[in-house]
Amino acid sequence: MTRKFRKALSKAATVSIIVIIIIAVAAGIAYYYYQSAAPAPTATTTTSTISSPSPTQTTTSTAATKPKISVIKIGLIEPLTGSHAVFGQEAKEAAELAVDVINNELGGIKSLGGAKLQLIVQDSGESPDNARLAAEKLISQYHPNIVIGAYISRLTAAVAEVTERSHTILFMDGLVDDLTQHGWKYVFRAAPKASAHGKSAVDFIIDMAKKKGIKVKTAIVLNEDSVFGTYVGNGATLELVKNGIKVLDHITYPYDISDVSSIINKIKSEKPDVVISVPYFHDAVLIAKAIKSQGIHLMFIAGAGGCGYTDPDSIKAAGDAVLYYTQTYSFNPFRPTKWDQKLVSMFKEKYGKIPTEAGGIILYTMFTIYAGLEKAGQMYPNDPLNPDNLRNVFLSLDLTDNNSIAGQLYPTGHIKFLPNGDNEYAGTAILQVQRINGTLQPVLVWPEPQPGVQPVFPRPDWTPSG
Amino acid sequence: MMDPILVTNNVLDGLLMGLLYSLVALGLALIFGVMDIINFAHGDFVMIGAYTAWLLAMAFWVDPSVTAIITVPLFFIIGIGIYKLVIEPVLGAEPLIQIAVTVGLGYVFQNIALALWHAEPKSFPAPWLNFSISAGGITLSVAKLIAGGISIISLYLIHYMLTKTKFGLAVRATSANREVAPLMGINVKKVYAITFGIGTALTALGAALYMSWGQTNPYLGQSFSLLSWVIVAMGGLGGVIGVLYSGLIVGVLEALGSTFITPSARLAVVYLAFFLLLWFRPRGLFARR
Amino acid sequence: MALSEWVRESRKYILGTIILVLVLAFIPFIIGFDQYLLLILSTAAIFAVFVVAWNIIGGYAGQLDLGAFAYIALGGIVAAQLLVVYNITPWIGMFVGAGVSAVLAAAIGYPTFRFGIKEVWYALLTAALVVILNNIFHLPEVLGSLDHYLPPANGWYYLKFPVYENIYWFILAMLAIVVFINLWVSKSKVGYYLRAIREDELAAEALGIDVRKYKLEALVLYAAILGFMGYVYIVIAGTYSYHTFDSPHSIAIAIMGIIGGLGSIAGALTSAITLKVVEEYLRASIGATIPGIHLLIYGLLLIIIGIFKPDGLAGIYESLKKRRTSGRKKISGGGNP
Repeated sequence: MTRKFRKALSKAATVSIIVIIIIAVAAGIAYYYYQSAAPAPTATTTTSTISSPSPTQTTTSTAATKPKISVIKIGLIEPLTGSHAVFGQEAKEAAELAVDVINNELGGIKSLGGAKLQLIVQDSGESPDNARLAAEKLISQYHPNIVIGAYISRLTAAVAEVTERSHTILFMDGLVDDLTQHGWKYVFRAAPKASAHGKSAVDFIIDMAKKKGIKVKTAIVLNEDSVFGTYVGNGATLELVKNGIKVLDHITYPYDISDVSSIINKIKSEKPDVVISVPYFHDAVLIAKAIKSQGIHLMFIAGAGGCGYTDPDSIKAAGDAVLYYTQTYSFNPFRPTKWDQKLVSMFKEKYGKIPTEAGGIILYTMFTIYAGLEKAGQMYPNDPLNPDNLRNVFLSLDLTDNNSIAGQLYPTGHIKFLPNGDNEYAGTAILQVQRINGTLQPVLVWPEPQPGVQPVFPRPDWTPSG
Repeated sequence: MMDPILVTNNVLDGLLMGLLYSLVALGLALIFGVMDIINFAHGDFVMIGAYTAWLLAMAFWVDPSVTAIITVPLFFIIGIGIYKLVIEPVLGAEPLIQIAVTVGLGYVFQNIALALWHAEPKSFPAPWLNFSISAGGITLSVAKLIAGGISIISLYLIHYMLTKTKFGLAVRATSANREVAPLMGINVKKVYAITFGIGTALTALGAALYMSWGQTNPYLGQSFSLLSWVIVAMGGLGGVIGVLYSGLIVGVLEALGSTFITPSARLAVVYLAFFLLLWFRPRGLFARR
Repeated sequence: MALSEWVRESRKYILGTIILVLVLAFIPFIIGFDQYLLLILSTAAIFAVFVVAWNIIGGYAGQLDLGAFAYIALGGIVAAQLLVVYNITPWIGMFVGAGVSAVLAAAIGYPTFRFGIKEVWYALLTAALVVILNNIFHLPEVLGSLDHYLPPANGWYYLKFPVYENIYWFILAMLAIVVFINLWVSKSKVGYYLRAIREDELAAEALGIDVRKYKLEALVLYAAILGFMGYVYIVIAGTYSYHTFDSPHSIAIAIMGIIGGLGSIAGALTSAITLKVVEEYLRASIGATIPGIHLLIYGLLLIIIGIFKPDGLAGIYESLKKRRTSGRKKISGGGNP
């Protein structure tokens, strides 16, 4: 070989050595951290408030005469970094809690000889090429039986291409409508679609107005301009038009906006009765504060789309600026069922806040998987984890409050999958920020208000103008 | 047809935001003008400043803008520390090396913030200044008016410092010719360190003012980084006046883009204008060299 | 320069590149077609293509281009839309995409160089270009907010496969071609002029070199390569939308270029592949422990490399080499290809 080419090669070698040393150090630190941190979640649950049979059952049941399955691998791909990290992190927390409950409190999958779930988490970052790498890493290194991910639609799409190829069941926690319309065979989605969120926000207003004898004539739809916000905003617009409410304006904006005054000024000058707002998270704080600052008194401001105005973190950040705002959720943290209350309080105990959108979806998705695996052990004792068998199992599930934990966690109390993977009985819940005993709290107001709570509609500061 | 009052109101809001942008960009302009450092982590300093303001506001339960009394001197010191650790070694390096290092610094800031405070937005829930005054249909936020006022005062103070004080003379001499400056008895390293400290302190001031009505999250810096650079480039290296004018131009363009097209495309309006402006004035509006 | 002359001049490098690419092409057999490793390789290789292409404008011409994804996304989206809407094969679409990107580069580059915009001002213009196109493609009249999907069908007609080895080999072939283009530029009169411009633009101009023309040629060539490869990037990303105009990714490409060492093909190749692999390794191994820890380490790496080796990876080698050769009292001449 020529000298220069050798030179190029040995340059590569030098560089590689340097890089390998750095990686080795980094990996060592990380491995140390991982080792010391990994057992923590299983250890902490023993201290949970719910009295439960001793969770320290480590050996799997030996009753199995069927193929011996000791571990079922569940992959979780979520955006843990980047501008969507706020969702991915809560999803990860919820998944860890659910796996812990299933393994320790429920004794694993009984029909599979008490097999345990093993959760493998990967960060998808915020670009689809990284999400795809995360998916390939999971599929080829860990061979998970089921994958959950990835909240943001373009990340979910990248993951789905990988799981479809390897015939792995993918439970999607991305809500964008079209995710179930690409002919993917192994995908399921228990959560309601994005457009359903927009529709519910409008239905809630119409329902309330009817009860209070108020006529809603005009509305503005305000949505952040990602694909999710667009679907929710369009769902709301359609429902408004269908109900004869005039849509004065449809404003879109990027969720990383740093100043919303031009939007608020516009709302002020157009004087709508109600605003349907589809915020992201950061922008919700800005909008609520700006509306309060400007002293705009509308009949109602309804949030749609899973996060923004009534999350505990938004209330902490925006204070009474978000008082009486509502928000639609794919999860109802106040459903008066045993398991809903139990898991919400466990989550609160462990992470210091109630689970909302991202965490809630993962909770019922996990327990849907739990129910499916239990059934798979009965339906296909010889090959329960075959993806086609699993698919049949999930399609045959009919989960309700009475027969399942997942049903108790779901806003409508009913999960039954359609052939395209969507839930036939999908629905949302609406929370409102109210002042209870002097503190601002989210409470359930729709479809059925939680005991002792009345929805506040219209906003008390609204002054009907002629 | 657009309501003229709405347009006026939006333009005034844009001007107030523009003042804040100028304040933040001025720090960058100083750093770039004096030591030729291309700092791509400037917005991330704003983000860290915003978190600091929020922490102090929550601890003492005061409006975040008040915390500037502490954050500004604190960030002056932090700025000098960062300068010594990270910036001094790359003085005079290839511009892209500086970009690489400061982008790396930005990653470090963002992910420290992510680890410490998670991704949820943080904001002071009970700001004192979250109300507005209105006259003739025009409504302006008091917090923003005060932020605008403090920005103007700060810009003037920096201008005064640069033109009237001995230190300002040293700064100008250094930025004019860093080979000759040491011969005149100027300690260039010291001028650099102090300039970087001042630049960083200005981001903290801007961040504290912004937190009166805004919010912060680990990625807040991305809204300020490129925008600050564009303001600096549009202003040319014409000192405080250039930065002030181009900050105001950016604020107004943003408002007009939001009003007449859509808030989704407001940055395209600003940056397209930047393109045209650079084509006709390649060194910015108030070019010095 | 005549082709035969060029082949004679750079025979060694051409041979070296071919061998390197053949070795890389053989890797899938060694790793047993492990799809994850193949995807890492494909991602690293496509970024290597981008960085080697960037080397033309950033390395040879010395223009701090931060707008790579303006051209990648534009070319890719053109090819993808041709396929989705008109069912035109990307084998044609990619050339159209390359053409559109080249036209954009010419339209932007002509006035930019005509008015003498350079250094940090040029860097900011190109960074702004990505945001402008992102915003424009976001308008409902263009792509809107939705994610767009390629047709589900696979095969060579779509240049899209359920497994990665084919696309990997395709990218490798492109990598070889882009390295050849670089070699050709570097050896030709254009490359000579470009280096002169990079060293001292005023002096080059005084020597009668048409500075604007050569900068523009470099920019258009760079944009055309990126535009061509855009479709392949979209195939790996799975969907395309206004998000494909990605500012952080654009800066990342420039950073890989500078870390490699300006004007060094070997450096560009090494840094693209190592940085991409390191990034992915950190993400996959520790990304789920403390969220963001991998990016923090990556950021520290950038700082450390930048501070200690301002000449990039090529400089690390040079200094090692110097130490070794000075020990042997033998100085080897010649810069990087």
